Amino acid sequence: MKFARLFRLWGKKRGQRMTGWWFVGSLGEAAFFGLLFLIGLLAFTIVIAWQVFSPETNAFPVGLGFWVIVIASASITAIGGFGFVLRVLWVATSDEHRIFLVGQTKQAQDRPKHWNVVSSIPSLEPYTDSPGVKLAYRLPGTRPDAGPLLLSSVFALAWNSLTAVQIALAITSFRQKIDWTMLLALPFFVAVGVFATRWFFQNFRKATGIGPTTVEISDLPLIAGKLYSLSVAQYGRLAMRKLKIALVCEETATYHHGTDVRTEKHVVSTQSLLEHGRTRIEYGRPLELECSFRVPIEAMHSFQSDHNSILWKIVVEGEANRWPSYCRSFPVVVFPAAFQRQANSSPPS
Amino acid sequence: MIRLIGLQPCYEPGEKLEFEYRLGRWASEKVSAVEVSVVWFTEGKGTEDLGVHFFERASGPTVGERDWQVGQTSQVDLPMGPLSYEGRLLKIRWSIRVRAYLGDGTELIAQQPFYLGSLTREV
Repeated sequence: MKFARLFRLWGKKRGQRMTGWWFVGSLGEAAFFGLLFLIGLLAFTIVIAWQVFSPETNAFPVGLGFWVIVIASASITAIGGFGFVLRVLWVATSDEHRIFLVGQTKQAQDRPKHWNVVSSIPSLEPYTDSPGVKLAYRLPGTRPDAGPLLLSSVFALAWNSLTAVQIALAITSFRQKIDWTMLLALPFFVAVGVFATRWFFQNFRKATGIGPTTVEISDLPLIAGKLYSLSVAQYGRLAMRKLKIALVCEETATYHHGTDVRTEKHVVSTQSLLEHGRTRIEYGRPLELECSFRVPIEAMHSFQSDHNSILWKIVVEGEANRWPSYCRSFPVVVFPAAFQRQANSSPPS
Repeated sequence: MIRLIGLQPCYEPGEKLEFEYRLGRWASEKVSAVEVSVVWFTEGKGTEDLGVHFFERASGPTVGERDWQVGQTSQVDLPMGPLSYEGRLLKIRWSIRVRAYLGDGTELIAQQPFYLGSLTREV
């Protein structure tokens, strides 16, 4: 009973208050890393000392095993030592204190202390460094997912190489003894090869066939309630069936599920800005569309932290004859309305 | 105990947040360090993120000189964001946290939530 009172391992939560035992957690972590350091150092010393002072006993002959033990024990020593020093430095330091210290260093290093800098709101720099032709800024698009193209190209190349070898072997087997198993499997190899090649060309056409889309905007950052102009141009040689432009807000959350890191997305709002029907686009004469929009007054601003974010983007969705439908995103940044009020009230510098 | 000096627990960005905190008699006699912070943190499906807007630590000889049973008043200018938010995958909360480290190794934590901006819900 007395022991439990002296070393309380669990905290208690009473409403908004909580009690805990701050020393135990830090001490436990420091002890673990300290022990790791000692074990590593002991193993390292034994192996090296034996080799230096008693090489005649040949207890640890120099070879693969010897070097594995040396590298493993040196790594354990380094991890243990580094972890121990870090834990001792952070002992009795709360999460808030650590983040505050890190934040102070970061702010001093790379961000000027200015009224409009809030670390959890994405920086405007990547969006404002490209001026537009018609409007103030040309928005950078998110890179299309190259995964399917890469996967299909590697698979098609590998499978067709395998099929070519199978065919060569089958031809040479005609001169000697015919291998019927190989011969019967050949149509299967050829069929998968044709399918893989078709899949690759489909992805290739999808990635390169449809011309680029450019989006220009009249001002950045976007502020809830303000009016903005948008100009969208679709290049290429296409017979368009439909082109839709929308302003989309999306939540994303990243979390650990076992050893996996997963990201979940949820579309919070979609505001349709423009829909365009059937039209033909020729080379050198892009389809140019213009519209204006307001960010909803009650909307949440853009937010970015290590594992969670609220993203705003202009989404262009298109459907063209003889082409797969496509969707291109152009991120934008929405600031809280308070920024506008402060900008209006502060004198120009 | 933490008390907001204001009628409503809602504050506009840039507004001054004024609050008072004090420790009970038992804790105030043994206190070795006190940390006061104004923080935002996320809740929901994703891993929790924490941001510290204001942080103040009292430790060393100054702690014993102060009477922690009497309300300690603090003022903080609130930032422009992030605003409090109630989404489906993600919630953003604001809170005042007081941590008291006692000489016997015990830690007391109290927190008082408040809203920054008019609470933005998923639309």
